[in-house]
Amino acid sequence: MDQQILNAIFIGSIYALFAVGYTLVFGILDILNLAHSAVFMLGAAVTYSLVVNHGQSFLVACILGIAASAVMGLVIEHVCLRPLRRRQAPPIAALISTIGLALVIVAAVEQGRGGTLFAWLWVDGANSVAFPANTFPNPIWHVGDLTLQASKVAIIPISIVLMLVLGYVMRYTQVGRGLRAVAENPRAARLLGLDVDRMISLTLVISSALGGLAGILFGVALGDISPYIGRDNVEVRGLAVIVLGGMGSIPGAVFGGYLLGLIEILALVTLGSGASGGVAFAALFLMLVLRPQGLFGTRLRERI
Amino acid sequence: MRLVCGLVAALVVAACGSSGGGGGNASNAYAGKTIKLGAVLSITGAGGVYGPQSRDGAMLAVTEINAAGGINGAKIDLTVQDDASDKAQSSQKAQALIEQNQVLALLGPTLSNSAVGVHPLAENLKTPILAVSTTGIHIVPDCNFPTTTPCQYVFRDSLGEETAIPDNIKSYVNDAHPKTGVLLVANDDKFSSDGGKIVQNTVGQYNITLLKTIPFSKAAADLSPFVTEAVQAKPDVIFITSLGGIPAKIMTTARNLGFQGQFLGGNGFNTATVSAQAGAAGKGARSASAWYIGNTFPSNSDFVTAYKKAYSKDPDQFGAQGYTGIKILADAAKRANLTFTDLAGDRTKLRAAMETVNIQSPLGPFQFTSTHDVKQTVWIIEMDGAGNFKLDHQIQPS
Repeated sequence: MDQQILNAIFIGSIYALFAVGYTLVFGILDILNLAHSAVFMLGAAVTYSLVVNHGQSFLVACILGIAASAVMGLVIEHVCLRPLRRRQAPPIAALISTIGLALVIVAAVEQGRGGTLFAWLWVDGANSVAFPANTFPNPIWHVGDLTLQASKVAIIPISIVLMLVLGYVMRYTQVGRGLRAVAENPRAARLLGLDVDRMISLTLVISSALGGLAGILFGVALGDISPYIGRDNVEVRGLAVIVLGGMGSIPGAVFGGYLLGLIEILALVTLGSGASGGVAFAALFLMLVLRPQGLFGTRLRERI
Repeated sequence: MRLVCGLVAALVVAACGSSGGGGGNASNAYAGKTIKLGAVLSITGAGGVYGPQSRDGAMLAVTEINAAGGINGAKIDLTVQDDASDKAQSSQKAQALIEQNQVLALLGPTLSNSAVGVHPLAENLKTPILAVSTTGIHIVPDCNFPTTTPCQYVFRDSLGEETAIPDNIKSYVNDAHPKTGVLLVANDDKFSSDGGKIVQNTVGQYNITLLKTIPFSKAAADLSPFVTEAVQAKPDVIFITSLGGIPAKIMTTARNLGFQGQFLGGNGFNTATVSAQAGAAGKGARSASAWYIGNTFPSNSDFVTAYKKAYSKDPDQFGAQGYTGIKILADAAKRANLTFTDLAGDRTKLRAAMETVNIQSPLGPFQFTSTHDVKQTVWIIEMDGAGNFKLDHQIQPS
């Protein structure tokens, strides 16, 4: 059971980091950026490709992987969101356009094979790959009955520090105040002299960088990098996390991430593996029925 | 002189007469024609670790046959479609190949999950289809299961899990006498869940107690909790029935958690991609295979040499089965006396000719059983920990 609690904390950290990026965009723009799962995958894929196919060091590859994800955030804003915002399209249009971009990103990586147009990005097609064993030190410690793997243990402090930094930035810095002002009322923020478009771009960059980092940590810890890791493994769970925690709430996304990880594991241990997925989403359903604003939601008075 | 002329004339007439229903006219009908074949394979998606090798093997056979003058002078034109490992796309692609491309016959699909849709479709459209990697239950002859009427147009050159898994368990029991096991089964595709059922139905015969059956979804973000459950039960054997990279992930996680026992699996293990992903954690993991790279009989060694030359890498079971698939269709087409004017009639003739295929292949001497399944030697192989396999045992067909 102790090992299973650890498993819950590991996966909960990844859910949380992924969902923070999700919820940040929702908090500012009131739309779900469904390309976030593709950015999660892109961060991992670019980092893997730089290490394995382009001979870069792991650290440099991670930085470039996060940078590529951040740039993809700008692409999301300029291709999927801003043109629709200018036309005052309804939020559902942005939802659909981000789904479209996610499909394009996944398809581009999926088609990457040696000798093809996307070979510089990815050469493994649909295959699931893992970083070579010597890419980073990854010792395994046995403490009592517990097995601790360095790559998984590292996720916890990295996630917590990043989420604390983000919380501090949002709460106590000029940029954070600007972002919160845009979230509160974009028109008023513009009248007060804020460059709203720039603030939204910044939101997408931060959100996508976090998403890319979450993808890299996922790939490092679970040894699984493929074009589908975002779509199959975290997209729907990320939605569940932000609903549990409260749409648009950063502390809610963090708490929701760990909560979902724990619910899944407890269901597995007590009810068997067949029930674990269903129980997690039953919890989500209950939350929607009993407390639609989520655990940390504030009925849209103040967000992020 | 008159006698000689008469004899020559008689021989010519006799020759024409004897060839009237066979090779002579057929050769004339074939010369310069194109035999259109189709393949629906999973080049991308979960089956993407198997489909590309099937395609490469099939393409190699097409290149070899065409370079050697084709089938009685007719060239093969193989169109490969990627179904992205998706059941609906698989059926759509198969239907388009049959009705729009008007192929004579089909190979595929890669996954049993997709075959449930594609094979009944081909049967209804009376188009021969040869499964080159589908190994689940109810592929042949009962492709329309639960209807048990044998499907006439569906054949298989891949080794069914109903043979592979029991042979593998029996072989390991003879060597190591395990007492307990845990089954980790992916419950979201037909191949994996069929494999799980076969394990459950087999272990009792060998007095292995199945301590736990742990179903999981391939969409689970982290398999560690499921593997932790398996390892904490302390079994002698972990049975894994799943696709793609999942078996490798399970093995790595279980070894990290301190599992010292044996991994047993099925066809899902049998590609170098999975062996390489598992690495040292996979060392000793056993499965039953339709093919073994180290076999030195000419139909295999020639194939291995040609494949390496064409693709600069070793073939695997799926490459060998794809290659064999085209050789089977070519052998049948050669003997089918095709008209090239009546597609429906030609498909029926090809189907009939496939039933009597008897060729040397990389899989060994190849024939179909009366139920259109494969009849061949089974090779028990184990991962060597370095991305390849070594041979443990061979089991002759009963």
